[in-house]
Amino acid sequence: MSETYLTTSNLLGLAGDLLTAGTQVIAPAQDAEPLVGPPQSGPRVAYRVIRKPEEMALEAGMPANSLKEFFLPSTEPLLKWRYQKNDVELKEVETTFQPRVVLGARPCDSAALEILDRVMGWDYRDELWFGRREATTVVNLACPGEDDLCFCTTVGSGPDSVRGADMLLVPSGDGYFVEVLTPKGEALVTAHRERFSQVEKGRAEAEQFRKEAKAKVDRNLNASPERIAGWLAGHFEHPFWDKLALQCHGCGACAAVCPTCHCFDIVDEPEGVLGGTRRRNWDTCQTSKFTVHASGHNPRTNQNVRFRQRIMHKFFIYPERFEQVLCTGCGRCARVCPGGMDLLDVLAELEELAGTEATPSKGAA
Amino acid sequence: MNIYQPHLARVEELVEETPDTRTLRLTFKDPRVAEQFTFKAGQFAEYSVFGAGECTFCIASPPTRRDYVECSFKTVGKVTTALRGVNVGDTIGLRGPYGNWFPLDQMSGKNVVFIAGGIGLAPVRCVIWNVLDEREKYKDVTIIYGARSVSDLVYKRELEQWAGRSDVKLWQTVDPGGETPEWKGEIGFVPTIVEKAAPSAKDTFAVVCGPPIMIKFTLPVLQKLGFPDENIYTTLENRMKCGLGKCGRCNIGPVYVCKDGPVFTAAQLKALPAEY
Amino acid sequence: MQELQELAKKLLSEGRVQVVIGYEAGAHGVRPAFVTDAADCGRLIFDPRCVHNLAVYLSPRRSPVKRLGKPAVVVKGCDAKAVAGLLRESQIKRDDVVLIGVRCSGVLADPRSGATLTGETVADKCILCDLHEPTLVDHLVGELRPPLPDMPRVSRRDLMLERISAMSPAERWAFWQAEFSRCTRCYACRQTCPLCFCEQCVADKSQPQWLETSPHPRGNLAWHVIRAMHLAGRCVDCGECERACPAEIPLGLLYRKVAQIVEARFKHRPTEDPEVPSPIGKYSLDDEQEFIL
Repeated sequence: MSETYLTTSNLLGLAGDLLTAGTQVIAPAQDAEPLVGPPQSGPRVAYRVIRKPEEMALEAGMPANSLKEFFLPSTEPLLKWRYQKNDVELKEVETTFQPRVVLGARPCDSAALEILDRVMGWDYRDELWFGRREATTVVNLACPGEDDLCFCTTVGSGPDSVRGADMLLVPSGDGYFVEVLTPKGEALVTAHRERFSQVEKGRAEAEQFRKEAKAKVDRNLNASPERIAGWLAGHFEHPFWDKLALQCHGCGACAAVCPTCHCFDIVDEPEGVLGGTRRRNWDTCQTSKFTVHASGHNPRTNQNVRFRQRIMHKFFIYPERFEQVLCTGCGRCARVCPGGMDLLDVLAELEELAGTEATPSKGAA
Repeated sequence: MNIYQPHLARVEELVEETPDTRTLRLTFKDPRVAEQFTFKAGQFAEYSVFGAGECTFCIASPPTRRDYVECSFKTVGKVTTALRGVNVGDTIGLRGPYGNWFPLDQMSGKNVVFIAGGIGLAPVRCVIWNVLDEREKYKDVTIIYGARSVSDLVYKRELEQWAGRSDVKLWQTVDPGGETPEWKGEIGFVPTIVEKAAPSAKDTFAVVCGPPIMIKFTLPVLQKLGFPDENIYTTLENRMKCGLGKCGRCNIGPVYVCKDGPVFTAAQLKALPAEY
Repeated sequence: MQELQELAKKLLSEGRVQVVIGYEAGAHGVRPAFVTDAADCGRLIFDPRCVHNLAVYLSPRRSPVKRLGKPAVVVKGCDAKAVAGLLRESQIKRDDVVLIGVRCSGVLADPRSGATLTGETVADKCILCDLHEPTLVDHLVGELRPPLPDMPRVSRRDLMLERISAMSPAERWAFWQAEFSRCTRCYACRQTCPLCFCEQCVADKSQPQWLETSPHPRGNLAWHVIRAMHLAGRCVDCGECERACPAEIPLGLLYRKVAQIVEARFKHRPTEDPEVPSPIGKYSLDDEQEFIL
């Protein structure tokens, strides 16, 4: 790991160099027309592929989407087929990708990439995921802490976390104090050596920024994922679940904005009479359709148990399987939920239960 | 080849098992795949009808027969309806095998009791033929099979073959009211017939497959007969998409049915939340 | 507020309902509340953050809510129209629910907002509101506050629609393509809609597959157009779909446009009178039919 410095204007320059060289650049950007959004919502900040360095809006607030869609798109082809008499011709999809750089990733978004590497790589390796992972250099920007719904520090990340990142920028002075973390990060610096400068000052300032951000986020939620996982392991059945999700609408808004929700559907879509595309699409355990069998039997009968699955998968199943909490504490789910479901509240309640009820109840998994 | 890419397979033969159940015999189009494709009894695959999608069934033929792969399916949803439309000579897709399998090495040298209901005979049939193809490795083989009615019994030709074998004890039954005047088998629900057949639990493994209600009432009978939960095996069918432990659909508590299953012991099932 | 809490307490303690569906202040803004214990009625509030349309919880597909027993639900004028829709379309019976009307002079667009209610922060639906005091109710509580002095005269949506109408077809197409491109088919629009009560949505059917479920331009266009058609003359303009959309697609524009067309053609506006049929539910010889070939 090495250290270097990048001025604000050199960051813009770096983006420009990359774009000129034909590298795809993904960054938080502020969308004006034609992306108007609801008339009241103001400009939308979201990660997207930028065409000009000036489109970057690194300090405009948390992007509405997560980085997930650039690695697991909301829809993507898995293969194409074409019928020829009795035969079928299959066309494979490309699993190697052009190099690209994410500039200004939030640490809660890069962390998700590292977390999801586990499920995408265990036993069967998802080449579409890893193809994109390998092609992408992720440059994090330390976050000042967005609002009172951030809880990254509770789930093993932090506003300056480097999980899933190749480089970390920490605001300092007229630019960024830079930590180069991986060979991919080194390669980026080497290729654009002239943009980076020696660290002369700013280390203390960066340190201060990190400390303040952590303190800000730390205030939001006091819970221990380990303790909660322990409680969840023994309490698949518990009155807590029975009224948990009364206000939940069973939509997939939380999963759509979640950096770690990765469940998907696979569908065939004919195009014309003979051919078509098999696609993988985002899906979510929050819909009633998710688990329904062709026979009509549905093992998850109502929204309470579907929401339980969401909590279980993130805070018990995934940690049990992959030693990571399937949550980066970005708080987006609570920000978008139309029914006011609040993951911070749920975790705080679970923390309390875990503190008071140590013994497993009936139906323990 | 990426993990979602199926092999192409030709439909060689199709058998109408019941008015809504069919068996397909498939061979791989690519000879190298045919050469390399191996699996174990109990594993499943994803079958594609291009344009309709993929569906999940166990491989119904035994691994001891290497020339083909068979699957049996009931027409219920979109893909199985499309699968019903395929004819001999048509091409479908198959990827797999996935999941775990029945522990045949443990069963070797022991008695095996097979208990199945309806289309639940498909995964069991795979094990039955595997055992019968290596008959000398096992002691007593008992098969208890039932369906709602005579016309709902699947693998009728094979039931006749098993009935004719002296090294197999076969009990066939149909639910009360499902019999025909010619019916010579038992009349009664599967758990009742298990009680009547009363296989000895000593040195015996049970393989149970069928509708949830049948399993629910069969397990206590086996328990009464002295079968420990660890010696009772079944397979779970959950809705799956990827079969690869990624898409998140088949979770039951901490279990990925596609990876940790589909074969479970009754002991394992009892530890799972009732979400299947 | 006290009036509301007292009423809820009375309804619960007298056993006239088993649950009061209202609003409470959570740690991060106002959210729906399900109060089943008379002693808990102090949780209930009504203030300008109470933007949610709680009529959606009366939908027959909400089994965990249904299991709580007979509900009383807090409704604003716009929400009462949604209840009327459920009654009109035989999804609920009037006697199966107690309606607690609240006088409302406008709510904020965002229930998590701490902003004061002004012409700037008021939800767009409130600019068009013609029903500050619901009448389809069993009880009416609260006070009507004076109209906002700076309440805009024209809704922002109508201003946007004027701009969109002025576009060339190609521009308009590009506009909606760009907006729909963000849709991931999470169906928050459908799930929060009190009138999207179908047991099985057309989008969830696979036999036949009426529309593609993939969030690509084809599938998304099909979904949003089909939903707009299914809500023509039925949408009560509660704005929940637009508020729910995590991709910030201006769905309100779409539904407002359809409502304008329905009004122009069928002289129909959504009302809180369940006896007035929606255009889809009636036939008149005077209906315009020049589009029938």
